[in-house]
Amino acid sequence: MSDKSTEVNFEFRQRLNKIIGGNHHNFCYQCGACVSLCPTAKYSTEFNPRTIMLMALLGLEDKLIAPDSIIWKCTNCYTCYERCPQDVRPVDVITALKNICVAEDRAPDIITRYSAGILDTGVSTPLSVAIAKRREKFGLPKFNITGYDEMKIILDREDSK
Amino acid sequence: MTQIVPFWGCMIPLRYPHIEMAIRKTLANLQMELVEDLPFTCCPDPIYFKARDQFDWLVIAARNLALAEERNLPLLTVCSGCTSTLKEARFLLNEDENLKDRVNTQLKKINREYKGTVNVEHAVVYLRDVLGYDAIQDSIQKRIENLRVAIHYGCHLLKPSQIMHVDDADYPQLLSDLVKMTGAIPVTHEEQLLCCGKGCIDDLIPYEMTSDIFDSVKEAKADCLGLICPTCFSSFDLGQKIIERKLNKKHEIPVIYYFQLLGLAQGLSPEEVGLDQHKIPMKGILD
Ligand code: SF4
Ligand code: SF4
Repeated sequence: MSDKSTEVNFEFRQRLNKIIGGNHHNFCYQCGACVSLCPTAKYSTEFNPRTIMLMALLGLEDKLIAPDSIIWKCTNCYTCYERCPQDVRPVDVITALKNICVAEDRAPDIITRYSAGILDTGVSTPLSVAIAKRREKFGLPKFNITGYDEMKIILDREDSK
Repeated sequence: MTQIVPFWGCMIPLRYPHIEMAIRKTLANLQMELVEDLPFTCCPDPIYFKARDQFDWLVIAARNLALAEERNLPLLTVCSGCTSTLKEARFLLNEDENLKDRVNTQLKKINREYKGTVNVEHAVVYLRDVLGYDAIQDSIQKRIENLRVAIHYGCHLLKPSQIMHVDDADYPQLLSDLVKMTGAIPVTHEEQLLCCGKGCIDDLIPYEMTSDIFDSVKEAKADCLGLICPTCFSSFDLGQKIIERKLNKKHEIPVIYYFQLLGLAQGLSPEEVGLDQHKIPMKGILD
């Protein structure tokens, strides 16, 4: 490693600290307990929650904040959260890092595409004619989304992008 | 009649309504009255939507929680994703007063407030802790004989245990006990706690995980895979077709959602619990 790459980017860490769950990265003492049963670490040699926490501690913004960043391979299984003796909640730190990716427009397309569906309709899966018919056939009540207007109002905030 | 508020989420009513049918019929047989006029939205989803913006995720979840809180009734989830979002949101809000205030500032715009008193549980946990095994036993009409059901817990029912408080995350017992109540034989297996992989954005890894789970299920000589989450259901039922294409492996192991199994034991027909709607048919395995 060159000298430059070992300089800690504190500015990035400050930013991470402000996001829900992000500040817990500070508690990591690099023991590796989070790695042993991490499913993605088992299936991908590049993926390792301990090294992701190390990258966060060093503030390696360029590597972490990218649409092809290794963080997107996390399954969100919470095994690391369960194992960590320091309450780092690595999966939550990873989610906070993902939030920065989205804010910087550096997330995989699927994240914004999928979220747009919820923001536009209030549900994650569109109500198709075929499903409406199937529901009727099964004797199920009509599916109505009545909370959409309220959802729109509460998402409107001063600091939103 | 016990009153509860079901939180159906999006995936079950809008993709797998046959599972909703099975849940409704079995809950009716358990004398549960569903209170359903609450204007919920998506929970919202604990992976992609949460990755987009956690504050928005929390605000929407808090609104859903506040709705049930206003009625003073327990909220019953049927999807592990909804369970994860609603229970984690409750945990984060109760842990951090400042965050709760910020969220309530948003809810105030619609004259609502999240207080932190609402109870949320996955329906299977409710069966164990509130309804009780005796009540389930009383609803059984036709015990299922000779069916070996492999257990798949999925991640978000149990972990993180400091939020979920459901069972031992390493040696859980809940689903085995519930399968036993139906007469079927619960089968634990090597990979019963492995993730279905759905949250991982990768072309192969999720399918390698599910495929290994199927190998483990076969190794344990189970007839089918029992689970409690629509995302897991999709990964394992439709997922087998994708595994066939991507990994060139055919598993042919039918998948059953717990309330379908319970429905059968309550005397409902396979069609009444929607078993004919699955990609991998159950036919030939029952009876
Ligand atoms: S996140 Fe926790 S378990 Fe993982 S290396 Fe850091 S302290 Fe250890
Ligand atoms: S949540 Fe992500 S990092 Fe943590 S154990 Fe699961 S796959 Fe690994």
